[in-house]
Amino acid sequence: MNKFSKTITLMMGLFLFYGEIYAQDYSNNVQVSQRVNVLVKSYPGLIKVKSLVKTYGGKDIWMLTIGNGKSEQNPAIAIVGGVEGSHLLGTELALGFAEKLLNASSQDSVKAILAKNTYYVFPNMSPDATEQYFSAVRYARSANARPTDDDRDGKINEDPFEDLNKDGKINWIRVEDATGKYRLNPEEPRSMLLADPSKGETGKYLVYSEGIDNDKDGNFNEDGEGGVHFNKNMSYAYPNFVPGSGEHMVSENENRALLDQLFEMPNIHSVITFGPYNNLSNPVLFNAQGISKRIITGYFEADAKTNAQVSELYNKITGFKDAPKSIAQGGDFANWAYFHYGRNSFSTPGWWVPKAKADTAKKEKEFKIEDQVANYLRWAESEKIENTFVEWTKIEHPDFPGKNVEIGGIDPFVLHNPPYKMVDGLVKKHYDFIVNLSKKSPNIDIVNLKQEKLGDGITRITATIINKGMMATQTKIGERSYWVKKISVKVNHTENQKIISGRKNQVLDAIEGQGNRTLSWLIKGSGKLSIDAGSPTSGSKTIELSL
Amino acid sequence: MKLIFKKIILTFSATAFAISLFAQQAEQILKASGSPANPKVPISWNRYYDYAAITEICKKLAKAHPDLVKLESMGKSYLGKDLWVMTVSDFKTGDPSKKPAMYIDGNIHSNEIQGSEFALYAAWYLAESFADTKHIKELLADKTFYIAPTINPDARDNFFHAPNNANSPRSGMIPVDNDRDGQTNEDGFDDLDGDGHIVFMRRKNPNGRLIADPIDPRRMISVGPGQQGEYELLGYEGIDNDDDGEVNEDGEGFYDPNRDWAWNWQPNYIQSGAYKYPFSLPENRAVADFVMKHPNIAAGQSYHNSGGMLLRGPGALEDLDTYNAQDVQVYDALGKKGEEVIPGYRYLVVYKDLYSVFGGELDWFYGGRGIYTFSNELWTNYLMYNKAGDTQASQYSFDRDLLFNDAFVDWKPFKHPQYGDIEIGGFKKSFGRLHPGFLLESDAHRNMSFTLYHAYHTPKLSVDEISEKDLGGGLKEVTAVIANKRMIPTHSSQDLKYKIEVPDLVSIEGAKVIAGMIVQNRDLNISTEQKNDAANLRVANIPGNSTVTVRWIIQNSSKYTVKVDSKKGGIATKSNN
Repeated sequence: MNKFSKTITLMMGLFLFYGEIYAQDYSNNVQVSQRVNVLVKSYPGLIKVKSLVKTYGGKDIWMLTIGNGKSEQNPAIAIVGGVEGSHLLGTELALGFAEKLLNASSQDSVKAILAKNTYYVFPNMSPDATEQYFSAVRYARSANARPTDDDRDGKINEDPFEDLNKDGKINWIRVEDATGKYRLNPEEPRSMLLADPSKGETGKYLVYSEGIDNDKDGNFNEDGEGGVHFNKNMSYAYPNFVPGSGEHMVSENENRALLDQLFEMPNIHSVITFGPYNNLSNPVLFNAQGISKRIITGYFEADAKTNAQVSELYNKITGFKDAPKSIAQGGDFANWAYFHYGRNSFSTPGWWVPKAKADTAKKEKEFKIEDQVANYLRWAESEKIENTFVEWTKIEHPDFPGKNVEIGGIDPFVLHNPPYKMVDGLVKKHYDFIVNLSKKSPNIDIVNLKQEKLGDGITRITATIINKGMMATQTKIGERSYWVKKISVKVNHTENQKIISGRKNQVLDAIEGQGNRTLSWLIKGSGKLSIDAGSPTSGSKTIELSL
Repeated sequence: MKLIFKKIILTFSATAFAISLFAQQAEQILKASGSPANPKVPISWNRYYDYAAITEICKKLAKAHPDLVKLESMGKSYLGKDLWVMTVSDFKTGDPSKKPAMYIDGNIHSNEIQGSEFALYAAWYLAESFADTKHIKELLADKTFYIAPTINPDARDNFFHAPNNANSPRSGMIPVDNDRDGQTNEDGFDDLDGDGHIVFMRRKNPNGRLIADPIDPRRMISVGPGQQGEYELLGYEGIDNDDDGEVNEDGEGFYDPNRDWAWNWQPNYIQSGAYKYPFSLPENRAVADFVMKHPNIAAGQSYHNSGGMLLRGPGALEDLDTYNAQDVQVYDALGKKGEEVIPGYRYLVVYKDLYSVFGGELDWFYGGRGIYTFSNELWTNYLMYNKAGDTQASQYSFDRDLLFNDAFVDWKPFKHPQYGDIEIGGFKKSFGRLHPGFLLESDAHRNMSFTLYHAYHTPKLSVDEISEKDLGGGLKEVTAVIANKRMIPTHSSQDLKYKIEVPDLVSIEGAKVIAGMIVQNRDLNISTEQKNDAANLRVANIPGNSTVTVRWIIQNSSKYTVKVDSKKGGIATKSNN
């Protein structure tokens, strides 16, 4: 079968399957586009799709707008997947949310949510990189297709991986050598650990990724195909001139296009990122030091409080525990969304390898050494997951003539992406989380309207602007950013009415969750008059009164 | 009359005028020293040019000097104008993209317009002096100049053709919601009296703290404690257009194109003026792309106004570590020369002598590309009387005695819808930050001279020496000395720290190479071997006014060539015997 008809068949197959029966593996780029297409065809009144830009590799960056038609007027949540190219689950969680929501859109509860909320879903920000999972040689890749000189030696892509044992994936090589820094994990000898000389441990192996040192510079596979990492190219804590960060901040098509788009959507109050950073399992703690300098590196207290509340919600709904400690790398998207975009930013990898229990039937003991590979292998065995580890096998390696070189080790992807059969359950949990979070969005109302006649045709109007949501109308960090809109309050009066006191038009700073502000005006004259209050992140309300 | 005919007639008459004014015969002229006597493109350097005029001048220069000036567009501005850049070099002495280059731009801030005339002057001067000035001829043989007169053409034209003051607009023309009420540019200045100038509003007020200066009543001065005032100032001409109780709070822009560069960029809540993300402004993005495509740019110059300053980075205290001692030495040497050739100007460091700023252009040029860069703040009140003094008072006397009151709009009464009876008056936008016409050419020349000195000191590489030692058995040891005759190294220390630019390549061609090494100490025979690709030695840097020594062991080769190829230092070769 030629390639073209293969694709067609594949697409037709998917078209039939999605929505009913789920596929057996993660979706490649064509499949993601197809799933997006199915949604557009099935729910034309609720979803709009556009391609923000094409990546260097010529792939579309999709943006799904899901809402009730006047989506720009409702408070919105942006949901971003594929920030890290090797994190295939991120795309599934983002796209899966859209599918679950729309498939349930005939239910009254979902109708009510869509009447008041807008969702901007960006399923995959790293399509060039994720495609490596589906390629002839599979390896964990974060880089887009732009050719880069990762080791800055003047030569481009000159030292890529090589699939030495032709098994279609890049694993590891270990070389017995007196200068080696690695030793076997005594509790799980298939796994290699760095030896700690201070504990009297000695290394015996050199460990490299699978390949050869093509440019003979002593480094293995340090300048392969691509590219710039989406999640290393953002402007917050940007790492200058490291492999994958690009020549400067926000240099890539996909980064720029997403930001151009996000800045034009003032209704976004929260950004949910499916990626390596995790502030949902363990919220960011307030630290006064972080906001004491000019360049702010910590959350404001009010924002940390919101994060804690949302984290509690997340943990309650998902039931997840034992999340690995999360350290944000520089230039990442989730931290950008808080520090440079000024919105609530919530991020989670969505899954991690659970803590494996010792199988007493097999006389296993609890591990004393922290080793994610050993933990994975034990967990995988208990889950009957097979073929994710290559047993160490001796090979001849041109860079190490006459030495004992073995190829093997854990497969790419498996530490951060669960077996596909688990994905639907994870999508459901995150769908529930986002739906519940939406119910806590900022929500403006005008209450306690009072009119007092002061004589001589003068009326004092008093009104309270209340935020009925759990989240503040804007973040604390966003208060000083002109990209975050304030609450605008306008008095619309007729020509024969005159404002004696109070402002015709004014803007208010953030109102915290369940908080309020009371305003008053003195108006001379009679007849009808209206007051508008609202902001893009919190919706708007108009009240009419007659004097 | 149709617009197109009008334009043709206008152009025609302008051309005729120019010919009658400038086309003297060579024998009628005594060349004033240091100035082009009978230029192919006559230009008046005592006035300012809008975008269309700049475009025309650039085109004329390229047409009149096809072997010296090439014009191209770096990209489009927000409103679709071409961002012109002229490549100025002697095209007959080698590929301009391989010569060490100086990049010059002007007018990044819309109101700082004379940067464009200064940049244009430099292009014009180089092209028109090439034929009869030896130093310029040599300079254009060695170097390339990339000259972009305006990198903010949209708002330049707004400054020219819309009512403005000396400070507006600093921003480009993308609308921004400054007061965050959901509307953009809804409350800017208002030219209340329709005279084309945005000047001040004052109001009689017995409780005001100002009076008219008895020496020059146009000037408002504060009264001392216990004294009775007569006026209050109400800010620049304007009204509260959007009924929010604020006047002129959401006008053109605001963002600052010089807070948009990708070195230590910070968002607008930390760095006022920042836009969305680094290079989110199309004009700056085009410049950055141009610089990335021209790795031969070794020096940078940005012309701003005002204050008479030759500025270098770091822009922010947080970037202090970016500049190390070797680079500061180079900057100091250039800056001192600048202070010498431009009286009244001071060589200063942005973060400590001016104000701390993130995301400035010079920070990206140096921090992000390793390019030695200056920002000149053109015009200083020193130039009014060639001395420092009471600046504000002298502006009035200077206007009176040398400009014959041309710079000032006299106070006149106006009925303001919100303030009632007021008066409107003050200096025009063309005064205070911009050069008066008669001082424009002189200061352009001085600033250009500083910039040419900077360009002269970009690396000049040569293979100074090739010597051989016979090792027997058909083997020879070849030692070559590569020299950099100028002050600037091929890699600034910032460049070396991050390996921004690739190493310089020193190669031997035509020989069978057995081994290659970089020699640290020739006398004591200390060297480091490069085991891989020994014929092409990778030299991290060729320092300023210094040499690098390399060595090869070659076999059975008699004739060969040593070549140095450096992105910022150009190419030089030498053959043995």
